[in-house]
Amino acid sequence: MNENIQYIGETLWPGQIGHFFIILSFISILFSIFSYWRDTKDPLTEPVRSWKFLGRVGFMTHALSVFGIIGILFYVMSQLMYEYSYVFDHCSDDLPMKYIFSAFWEGQEGSFLLWMFWHSILGFVVLKTGKKWESSVMMFVGIIEAIIASMLLGVYVELGDWIYKMGSNPTLLVRDIFDAPIFQQADYLSSLKGDGLNPLLQNYWMTIHPPTLFLGFAACTFPAAYAAAGFYTKDFKGWLTPGLKWGLFAGGILGIGILMGAAWAYEALTFGGYWAWDPVENMSLVPWIVMVAAIHTNLIAKSTGRAIKSTFIYYSLSFILILYSTYLTRSGILGDTSAHAFTEMGLEPQLIFMVAFSALVPIILYILRAGKVEVHKTEESIYSREFWMFVGALVLLFSGLIIAASTSLPVMNAIISIFNPEFEGTVIKDPIPHFNKFQIWVSVLVTILSAKTIHLRYKTKEWNTNQKKSFVIKTLIYAAIAGVLTFVTSLFIDFYHWKYVLLTACAFFTIIANSHYLVSSIGRNLKMAGSVVSHLGFAIMIIGTIASGLNEYTITNMPFAMRELVKEDNLKTVVNLIKNEKLFTKGYWLTYEGDTIIDKTRTFDIKFERENPTTKVIEETFHVYPNVLFSNDMTKVAATNPDTKHYIEKDIFVTVASLPASQIDIELAKEEEDSLKYIQYNLSVGDTIFTKDKFGILEYLTFDPKNEDFLKSESDLGLGLGIRFYDLDKEFNELIEPIVALKENLLYQYPGQINALGLKVKLNDKTFDNFFTPEDELQYEKFNVKQNKSFDYGDLKITLLGFDSEISNPNYKKEEDDIAIKGLIKVEGDGFTHVLNPIYVIRNSRPFSIKDYLPSVGLHLRLSQIDPQTETFTMQLAMDERTSQEVIIDVAEDVTRTDFLGLEAKVFPGINMFWVGASMMMMGMLLAFFYRIKQKYA
Amino acid sequence: MKKTYILGVIAIAAAIVIILNGAKDVSTYATFADAAKIEGSVKVTGELNLDEEIIFKPEIDPNVFTFHMIDSDGVSRKVVMNKPKPQDFERSESVVVTGEMRNNEFVANEILMKCPSKYKDDEIRIRAEL
Repeated sequence: MNENIQYIGETLWPGQIGHFFIILSFISILFSIFSYWRDTKDPLTEPVRSWKFLGRVGFMTHALSVFGIIGILFYVMSQLMYEYSYVFDHCSDDLPMKYIFSAFWEGQEGSFLLWMFWHSILGFVVLKTGKKWESSVMMFVGIIEAIIASMLLGVYVELGDWIYKMGSNPTLLVRDIFDAPIFQQADYLSSLKGDGLNPLLQNYWMTIHPPTLFLGFAACTFPAAYAAAGFYTKDFKGWLTPGLKWGLFAGGILGIGILMGAAWAYEALTFGGYWAWDPVENMSLVPWIVMVAAIHTNLIAKSTGRAIKSTFIYYSLSFILILYSTYLTRSGILGDTSAHAFTEMGLEPQLIFMVAFSALVPIILYILRAGKVEVHKTEESIYSREFWMFVGALVLLFSGLIIAASTSLPVMNAIISIFNPEFEGTVIKDPIPHFNKFQIWVSVLVTILSAKTIHLRYKTKEWNTNQKKSFVIKTLIYAAIAGVLTFVTSLFIDFYHWKYVLLTACAFFTIIANSHYLVSSIGRNLKMAGSVVSHLGFAIMIIGTIASGLNEYTITNMPFAMRELVKEDNLKTVVNLIKNEKLFTKGYWLTYEGDTIIDKTRTFDIKFERENPTTKVIEETFHVYPNVLFSNDMTKVAATNPDTKHYIEKDIFVTVASLPASQIDIELAKEEEDSLKYIQYNLSVGDTIFTKDKFGILEYLTFDPKNEDFLKSESDLGLGLGIRFYDLDKEFNELIEPIVALKENLLYQYPGQINALGLKVKLNDKTFDNFFTPEDELQYEKFNVKQNKSFDYGDLKITLLGFDSEISNPNYKKEEDDIAIKGLIKVEGDGFTHVLNPIYVIRNSRPFSIKDYLPSVGLHLRLSQIDPQTETFTMQLAMDERTSQEVIIDVAEDVTRTDFLGLEAKVFPGINMFWVGASMMMMGMLLAFFYRIKQKYA
Repeated sequence: MKKTYILGVIAIAAAIVIILNGAKDVSTYATFADAAKIEGSVKVTGELNLDEEIIFKPEIDPNVFTFHMIDSDGVSRKVVMNKPKPQDFERSESVVVTGEMRNNEFVANEILMKCPSKYKDDEIRIRAEL
């Protein structure tokens, strides 16, 4: 970089302040950790000078610095200061303000900041409510916060020959990062334009999903920090109460965040469903599953004093898995296996350090302290609630570890290839069945456990005969009802395999058991409401998953495909719809009725008509509006957004899966146009031309074309043809109106296309010269007239009707002190009468005139002089030299049609049960959370 | 026997079953030569062969597009993909296709492409210079 250049237009102070805050945030959190640690060692009694106070000062300074960095970044983004690389990478002039948040956390640095933001906010909650836990908890929170803060440092660490860039500073300038010739120019900034936000991410989900997910991530830190604090301070029981509240909060929020991702995938991203077992999805799910397991062991520990060590392990594991998932999604290691991971940016060693260090802390604590945890002499009885809850937590842990192990295959490959460079790496052949076949059994176990465990009591040792009898009878009744409901369900959906019948029956079993509990005992025990809602939700979700997953079907199978003939035809899920031509597939008549382009979005209007298979009556009509988004420079289609028709019992999900090549990419359109072979024809009105197997008749010539694109273009002058083409049998004909138009001295083509005949017709530019004569070649003649007098000009009769001072002519812009009048001049010819309005202006005592023009006869008319004394007006008239009425057209044949789209329509039965069930699951956790924070001594 | 141990034994047994069973779902990335030998679906990784034409004619059938791919042995084969052509397919650096070999053609039903990322792209794009 040239140090001597004084760059123009740069605003450097936000970067300097931002960088200061970055360093401050790192130093202050280290200070806070140290102070809090000192406080756990020898808490001083003097409150003002205590270590605890210093710890708080450190943490608050850190939090304010984080807010400061965020504020600065938002400021430079909102001001579009492209000198900053973060702005350059994520913003653009045309980015709507409402997507500035999305642009902010699109990048890794922004999402780290979001994470730190939530840690800070939640940290304040601990400062307020932590009491004796504050110092030890905040010490552990501070450690992770310091590691994340280091990701933004962007400093170079040098050890001998080894140089490592620690972190990535978001406040750097573009010219700090890139070395390009443009930075030799002092005014480089004026030519810098941002990359903008990926159109796929210009979506309201991108505004709400990341902050919710990161709040969930941040929340998972806190139960783990409480667990660590409990083991560190040797108060093995005291942390269980606040730990549970944090656990419930983290579980609920993280779950909602994951669900939002699923909803986004389903609704907007066209991944073809809400869950695809993609590594990125899996790795946010696993910490949540482990968190749910931890909540259950925490409940056991709080009620019975057992499973304290398990709770510690589960909370720590959930937290470590969050960091591990951060590593997987941000290091680029998932590479080939995931559709939506971040790309690498050189932070891999730091990310590995983060995971390893965060794992090491709880492991060491566990080794040092586990022996001191009180051990119960007796075992849990199998009649007790805690025993089966513990089993449930174990099943969940298993479920999470299986998913994590399969998803970690790329990591294992990377590790093996360190030792064996020849190693090729392995991959899961078909992920969806692979994950499903294990998780189905997890679901069976979880449904059964969540059905029955709630009816058990803590610390039960033994049952008497009555209790045993009642348990068996209840179970049988639940099972019987569940069986009936499963049978009824089978009338509506196909199960395909007995495993799914079993799972559905188990889910109904849970619903019945929990509903019974809700009705019979909840009045007495409101504390359990959250649990019941969550478990009901889980069962409902399972049924929704089976219904929508197994019975999903495509409406748009190729109608002529014969299933048995070619195996691949089963996979053909897209049909072509030609504009305004009906197509029948699987009970629906589909019509592509039109499309509109507004800004960067092209929206299609597709009509669905459902036909009764026996009566052939149309029973329902609706429209769906899927769209495609163009890239920021409008040259190609960048994303497609489906549209969904919602019913209570199903969704119909509609996507535009393909478009004609010429409408996807401007370059392809040009390629296609270049490949056309145009043949030139000269003809006059009434003439017929013959092409290979069609013929066309020139019906008319117009100076007033009505083509919509032409009208929108606001051209100065247009010449259009009406030409009708027939196929040789005269069974089909269509009129098209190719146009050539003049706008600001440039000629524009508006070709006509007949898709059904594969014809494209352009009006040749040369035709324009046949009809319009340039101003400097016109031969003007002068005429002097008085008002209401007429004279003849060629075949035309010209009459001066009078004058008007109201002038509305686009070529005339009024200035002060103008004296302007508009002539009203009647032109009469063979069968027509027009009034022309030439304008006469005196500006700064100099006269000039603005002509009017009658294109149909080619008459140019000016008012060139006014003699007020004699009331005589001088007019100048000229005619276009129309020596020939011949037009020249270029005709191309075998043109690919452009009036169709490839449509994919899928039905997801019972999908709403998935959403309702999954939401209930999360709501239940939050319900339990609110119940417990309201209870003082819960 | 203590119930914890029983649980432990069950858990270990389940883990063994899962590992043995799950291992069957895993394979190395195949080459076209491997794919010809193996019955059923395999994943082949390679690069797009840009010397050959990528054919996608949505006006005829939007469900099929064909291209040529060079596998890790350097062998180029025609791939018939049963899906509409993804956006920016021509720009993808590496391609993973899932499917099977049939008469010297690889019939695929799934595709994953890796596109050059904008972070790696050190070229600075300045509109004024275009």
